[in-house]
Amino acid sequence: MDLLNNLALGFTVALSFQNLLWCFLGVLLGTLVGVLPGIGPVATIAMLLPVTFTLPPVSALIMLAGIYYGAQYGGSTTAILVNLPGESSSVVTALDGYQMARQGRAGPALGMAAIGSFFAGTVSTLVIALFAPPLAEVALKFGPTEYFSLMVLGLIAAVVLAHGSLIKAIAMVILGLLLGLVGTDVNSGVARYSFGISELSDGIGFVTVAMGVFGIAEIMANLQQKDTRDIFVAKIDRLLPSMEDIKKCIPSVLRGTVLGSALGILPGGGALLASFAAYTLEKKSAKPPRNFGKGDIRGVAAPESANNAGAQTSFIPLLTLGIPSNPVMALMIGAMMIQGIAPGPQVMTERPQLFWGMIASMWVGNLMLVILNLPLIGMWIKLLTVPYRLLYPAILVFCAIGVYSVNNASFDIYMMAIFAVLGYVWVKLECEPAPLILGFILGPMMEENLRRAMLLSRGDPSVFFTKPISAVLLGISLVLLLIVLSPSIKKKREEAFQEA
Amino acid sequence: MQRLLSLVVAAAAVALAAPAPAQTYPSKPIRFVVPFPPGGPLDITGRAIAQKLAESWGQPVVVDNRPGAGGGIGAELVAKSPGDGYTLLMGAVSTHAINPSLYAKVPYDPQKDFVPVALVAQVPNILVVNPSLPVHSVKELIDYARAKPGALSFGSGSTGSTGHLAGELFKTMAGVDMVHIPYKGGAPAMQDLLAGQTQLMFDNLANALPQVKAGKLRALAVTTSKRSPAVPDLPTVAESGLPGFDLTTWFGVFVPAGTPPETVAKLNAEIVKALASKDLAERLAAMGTVPPERNTPESFAAFVRAEAAKYAQVVKSSGARVD
Repeated sequence: MDLLNNLALGFTVALSFQNLLWCFLGVLLGTLVGVLPGIGPVATIAMLLPVTFTLPPVSALIMLAGIYYGAQYGGSTTAILVNLPGESSSVVTALDGYQMARQGRAGPALGMAAIGSFFAGTVSTLVIALFAPPLAEVALKFGPTEYFSLMVLGLIAAVVLAHGSLIKAIAMVILGLLLGLVGTDVNSGVARYSFGISELSDGIGFVTVAMGVFGIAEIMANLQQKDTRDIFVAKIDRLLPSMEDIKKCIPSVLRGTVLGSALGILPGGGALLASFAAYTLEKKSAKPPRNFGKGDIRGVAAPESANNAGAQTSFIPLLTLGIPSNPVMALMIGAMMIQGIAPGPQVMTERPQLFWGMIASMWVGNLMLVILNLPLIGMWIKLLTVPYRLLYPAILVFCAIGVYSVNNASFDIYMMAIFAVLGYVWVKLECEPAPLILGFILGPMMEENLRRAMLLSRGDPSVFFTKPISAVLLGISLVLLLIVLSPSIKKKREEAFQEA
Repeated sequence: MQRLLSLVVAAAAVALAAPAPAQTYPSKPIRFVVPFPPGGPLDITGRAIAQKLAESWGQPVVVDNRPGAGGGIGAELVAKSPGDGYTLLMGAVSTHAINPSLYAKVPYDPQKDFVPVALVAQVPNILVVNPSLPVHSVKELIDYARAKPGALSFGSGSTGSTGHLAGELFKTMAGVDMVHIPYKGGAPAMQDLLAGQTQLMFDNLANALPQVKAGKLRALAVTTSKRSPAVPDLPTVAESGLPGFDLTTWFGVFVPAGTPPETVAKLNAEIVKALASKDLAERLAAMGTVPPERNTPESFAAFVRAEAAKYAQVVKSSGARVD
């Protein structure tokens, strides 16, 4: 009963003309920003912070939130169309989405991404409304030991992401891990692999690596093949997913939503883990015939639902505890402070219109995004028919602008160029970039949490197995490891038998 | 005759032209380098000041975020910029007092490469503990820590932050043994404190106060030498048993060395005016800052020198280092 009252309050706030306008502006900006590779919601929100000085608090936060999840929608668009993941969570969407685009099925891919995201957004909004405070308490139970075990599970799952050689996938994960170690170590303050260059003392940025390895390397590989462009133009199928496609994806969307809502509440990387955990789960549990890595629509639906659910639930630590789970949330805290609202546990009780108004507007924003994006698919498809010799310089320029906008540093553009060359080499060697990116992000987090857990336990390693959540996660990792290794063991045994 | 006349005219023209640029500062957009990521209290205050300066002078004042190396990247950039008054830096206790002692080498000289213009804010840190810890005052905390050496952990936003150094100073002065747990930023550190993974923290007032008000944390003292008007009932660490304990997080505006004194004076006047404006003053008070009695470039410069000397001592006795 309380819930209905609160939601009613929320919707009266969210559906006021002013707030609807700001919501629309936010999601529109967010989509644009997400589509432009590299320029992310962080830069946009930072630029718009002064504007929020003059707005009433609820409207300001509604707009900024709209930018955030609008960027999630937009980021999938570039991931699918040109293999450029704008956000870390769209990396996984690029895997199957881009392959679908190459087969002329960009329309269904984009459509399924939008539909899956909308469903996940609706469900996760309900989750927030119903379970925000208890979920926040659950998130607090995740200390460094639990995070470490979760990252171990994540890294093993990263190997599953690859559809080629297992050895190469493991090698890429380890290489990503090593690249992620560049920078100043949190615990000792020692700068590692920075070669005395101050720009490297905080590590290599994710955007730099992703743009170089995914986007530009792909352009270089495409330019080498003379016949690529015909494939794109010739086989443009339908513009929207068929009923059959949608039916096939229902279990994937459901799985993705659940995983996303669960993992999104974990501050610091929960939303990212959500998308590729969903992809991994999908790969193992979807009904055959499976075509993952070559354009299976379920490989787009699951991670997209997961990353949108994760994006929404990542507001929970912010709204209930006043703790930001990622840099975008930190900016939202900044916006709240500008308005004189001290973010913390009392926001929910002291300012119910703010809390419930934001929740209601999240759903409204999702609805606006679906209505915005579905018709735009036709326009995006037209973009693909632009001759490649005009398209790829534009992509390069946007990548450069995007990478520059992160730190206002031209150094980052040089780094992106280096990674582009490396990415091209890896494409030629048939080593996949996705495990590298995941090792790059998860490896340092894993190390940070390992050492912090050891500091807190004063050097006692058994704490990873005695704490219940951590023990369970490590157990699942072991099982997953066995599942991953067993096919190759089986194959070797078959070969041995054949020779005998 | 004609040549002499044209020479005289030319000389007069030059003589008339010379004073003009000095009178029309600022005549082009000003760049305000903030060496930290967007969104934190320092960045937001910087943006507010930039807006006020722009309104007053009619020239755009653009905030340029250049995070990294604890503020070092932005500071280095401004140190190497020309001293013409068109590049400003939002320097902080980290860039000008702590880093030179903490890092093996910094790519700028905090005293020689900069001219301090005005102090913007001094934010106190507040000693908070997780409610599960059975201590209700600084004295009880010291007794508890002495009885259980090595049992307590305190978190901080990064190695070399005021939160870290406050803890180290506390350890040295009280003679207790606690373990420092560094995090990447104040938010994860706060999260683990709330969860009970760590037991205490010297966090900045703005972040910790909402949690204290909600009952999730217990506040024991403030780290400044005087009580903070935002929490007047909270004693200082100095009056709770450790006299001489004084640590604040401060930030202020700097310009590169060589900037003409008139420009510096003009900037100082305008910034002090902006700080006294109603909305900024309110916001700063909410952050727990106390405006200084005098805010001139000279008083700020003396303050920065004193802070640098103080932190050289604190960092050395704590043994903290960043290579």
